Amino acid sequence: MTFQRFLLRRALMVIPLMIGVVFITFMLVRIGGLDPVGRLAGPTATQAEFDSIRNNLGLDQPLWKQFSIYLGNVVRGDLGESWLSNRSVLTDIKERAVISLELLFWGVGIGALVGVPVGLRAAFRPNGRFDQFTRVLSLFGFSIPTYWLALVMIFVFFYLLGWSPPAIGRMSLLVTPPDMITGSYLIDGVLTARWDAAQSAASQLILPVICLAIVSAAPIIKQTRAIAIEVLSSDTVRYAHACGLPERNVRKLVLRNSAVPILTYIGTEVTGLVGTMSLIEYVFAWGGLGQYGLNAIISGDFTAVQGYVLVLAVFSVLVFIVIDFVVYLIEPRSELS
Amino acid sequence: MTLLKVEDLHTHFISRDLDNQICIAKALNGVSFSLEAGRVLGIVGETGAGKSLTAQSIVGLLRPPAKIVAGSVRFEGRELTDMPDAELNRIRGNNIAMVVQNPRTSLDPLTRVGDQLVRLHQIHSGGPKTASHKRALEMMEAVGLPDPESRAKSWPHELSGGMAQRVLLAMALMNSPKLLIADEPTTGLDVTVQAQILDLLRSLVARFDMATLIITHDLGVVAHFCNDIAVMFGGSIVETGSVRDVFAAPAHPYTRDLIAATPERFQMGRAKALGGQPPDLYNLPSGCVLQSRCAYATELCQTTVRNAEVAEGHFALCHYAGRLEEQPAVKINA
Repeated sequence: MTFQRFLLRRALMVIPLMIGVVFITFMLVRIGGLDPVGRLAGPTATQAEFDSIRNNLGLDQPLWKQFSIYLGNVVRGDLGESWLSNRSVLTDIKERAVISLELLFWGVGIGALVGVPVGLRAAFRPNGRFDQFTRVLSLFGFSIPTYWLALVMIFVFFYLLGWSPPAIGRMSLLVTPPDMITGSYLIDGVLTARWDAAQSAASQLILPVICLAIVSAAPIIKQTRAIAIEVLSSDTVRYAHACGLPERNVRKLVLRNSAVPILTYIGTEVTGLVGTMSLIEYVFAWGGLGQYGLNAIISGDFTAVQGYVLVLAVFSVLVFIVIDFVVYLIEPRSELS
Repeated sequence: MTLLKVEDLHTHFISRDLDNQICIAKALNGVSFSLEAGRVLGIVGETGAGKSLTAQSIVGLLRPPAKIVAGSVRFEGRELTDMPDAELNRIRGNNIAMVVQNPRTSLDPLTRVGDQLVRLHQIHSGGPKTASHKRALEMMEAVGLPDPESRAKSWPHELSGGMAQRVLLAMALMNSPKLLIADEPTTGLDVTVQAQILDLLRSLVARFDMATLIITHDLGVVAHFCNDIAVMFGGSIVETGSVRDVFAAPAHPYTRDLIAATPERFQMGRAKALGGQPPDLYNLPSGCVLQSRCAYATELCQTTVRNAEVAEGHFALCHYAGRLEEQPAVKINA
């Protein structure tokens, strides 16, 4: 199957999925006990004001009608306006998506760059000293609550040691942000040769990136180790030894044969980490999509929550399409389907 | 000169049980045999007798907890048991080639068949890549793969079991080995394909003049294919000799039972099934390993057995080797 046909088929399969996602989030926020009207109206509002707000938001309509209006808007690419800020949800999300993607890219990238080699090395000597050491480490990575880790890191590296800048967002208050090109201060700073901005952006990135890298590396280590051990005990590796392949070649063979399951795992992990991202962004006042979504949920901003969840669903689908395509490139047995 | 000489090889599985007590399964107990250049030796025995383990011990492919605890394996006069892996790697796949029983899962799934052949030749023999490629095509031709040019571009998953086994044979031939070890080369193939592969193997052995060690549980394979036979039971070789001698006058009770249990005999209604459990390798009896299953066993069988030469070059590990007829067949353990 050609790549175009594959993409088309995938896109068609996504449509019912998206309708389902929209339906479920739409209903969930409405039965969640959130009260956006009360929040908007304020404590001193009269019943008339309540009713008028309710009428403006369309909340007085029957549920199925609300849903069909919303679905119609979504199909036309309109995610609505935030009830709190009256700004377009889509614009808000677009601005913040880059900010979060930047953090996710570095966090998972470093997590994978560390986790995969560590997992492989542990697998080559299972129950060896290195394996036991990393097993304890990854157990920590698994069990530490993310927000707690973030707070402790700020406490240690900012407050106690003074190595890192305060956790006030993506850039020091003393530096003017660079002209917007991509939305990432780091990249924009480099592109516009604003080195002070790039440097400030980089130093702000370090702590949240390390935090996310720790959280993402722990399961990557564990999975990589398990996958590589399975490959190591396969007929293929046994036969490679019988053929007298030097150790270097055997390791290459193991790496290549582990690549597909490891990549697939990292793909699923990325889609799961967007939840963790919300907490990290919140603690570091990052102002990205995760923080936006969390705020929207807390304040009962229905359209923003719906838009946030929908975009995350689209993001997951995109990640899986990319993974499928990469697997297709390296695995001769696979077909695009 | 003797190409391969295995002497008193002991391989044990050493592990710890739940109480952290060391458990030892004595999987090979003093295996000895030798193989001259150009000869074909068949090792037969039931599952768990230690056939494959013998092959793996020879080429140093044991994985923990299996470990050679005593004995020697000499190939062209060089000791293999204490050779470092890097040096062994220069022998494996080169002077000693192996054919294994799961050809489809054994080939590297991410490399084209031709590239695997070329890679194996490059690693051991070096030289220009074009020469390796040419040799790969020749060997694919030799093992009867039609249209080698296009087959070389196939992926392993595109091959049938029989074709994959032919590819494995081509892999084995790439570096002109002196010894070929075929570990159940036809298990898992269709019966008709089994016959084809065996015929091919026989013609290749003659054509390339390789000493060959065939591991099988099929006496028919041995009868039609081998010069010599070694019968294994409970981690020991219980009888060895030329195929002609052993089949004509089996001297060990186990060999007799084994020959009596072939399907052809069953059809003739003259067979008895081969009964009983394999011996408990964690707790081997003293003396003969077969004693609990042997119809001829007596008190004497609980003492150490020595290899007895019943005819020139024909040995049996039995107190009553050569004089079984004098023994009444009664089961003392029954």
